[in-house]
Amino acid sequence: MTFFRLDPTVYARHKDEVLRLSNSFQTIEQRGLSDREIADRLGLDERTVTEIRVVAERDCYPLDEWERAIEFKRKACADWAALALKRPDLKEP
Amino acid sequence: MNDSAAATKQMKSLALKSGATVVGVADAAAFDAHAPAKHRPADLLPGARTVVVVGGAQPRAGDWVATSPWVLSTMGTTERIQGVGRRLAQAIESELGHYALFVPPGTASGDTPFLSLMLAAELAGLGSRSLAGPVLNRDHGFMYWSAVITTAPLDVDPPDAAPACPAAPCREMWEREGTTPCLRVCPIDAGGCLGGRLEDQRPVRTAYDAGRCQTRVHTHWVGGFQKLLEETLNEPDRERRKMLVYGDFMTRTLWAITYSSTNIAQCFECMRVCPAAHGLREMR
Repeated sequence: MTFFRLDPTVYARHKDEVLRLSNSFQTIEQRGLSDREIADRLGLDERTVTEIRVVAERDCYPLDEWERAIEFKRKACADWAALALKRPDLKEP
Repeated sequence: MNDSAAATKQMKSLALKSGATVVGVADAAAFDAHAPAKHRPADLLPGARTVVVVGGAQPRAGDWVATSPWVLSTMGTTERIQGVGRRLAQAIESELGHYALFVPPGTASGDTPFLSLMLAAELAGLGSRSLAGPVLNRDHGFMYWSAVITTAPLDVDPPDAAPACPAAPCREMWEREGTTPCLRVCPIDAGGCLGGRLEDQRPVRTAYDAGRCQTRVHTHWVGGFQKLLEETLNEPDRERRKMLVYGDFMTRTLWAITYSSTNIAQCFECMRVCPAAHGLREMR
């Protein structure tokens, strides 16, 4: 048995739809579909859908967004400490 | 008291003595309407009848007001409540003689859990979804969850009738400003993750950017490692590669991964500002 490799063209064609339907991106009102259900809907096999979903989960944002996440948390955390402890000096400029 | 009532009381008592703050029981079949196949109790344990859910291990007041965002990420002590879940599973098998499966805290594939612990908490009557996303208990707010799937016919708890979200200060803020603390700190229309409103004093989520939330909750975890690894492999210059591999992002990420049970959750900003998630008691 050879190692399963996802064809990048198959990935590019289906990634948005797979993510939209999947249970990875849950909403309160609507249950996500299983990989098997998505496969049936898109005419793909389940393993391919699983691989598309897993890669797409990581492919939503570029590395820059991870850097922005750090800055967001640093500022939000400092702002809350300043408010909760009544210490305006802790607030980030 | 019949057998199931006595067994339920016995297991709940054990959970609380073992360190759980709250404990409830969900009907295993109730998951079918909400969870896809392979993520339902009976998919993991054939013949599953009930799911025992425990919650607790909340951050302390000092953690919430810490000036470094990295404090809460290392205080996300999920393993404390997982220990209670494991103990319950053992007791169900040894004392009740029924199969018990501790729901693994990891993922089945990608970011998808084996079983949604938030759904389990809701169905066990321990809380309800907040506008920000996490399930909040009306008495204790934000907490960590663990669950045990079992073939034991325990008594099931009713759903939570009094949701913690929205809290009174949030309702007042919505009337006054048209927003809530969680929506203001992480607004989807300004680079954040959350969109929603209050309607008839109930939270209605209208948008959620799970991909962006992933970059914040798992900044220095598996996702962050994969992104930086890709960047490093694509960097042709040896010295520049070294800066990436030895740099703060990679180092912090590797520490987090190697202590993954205490470093999985790394963003708490929507919960930090949430009046229902933790009471901001006056402390000296």
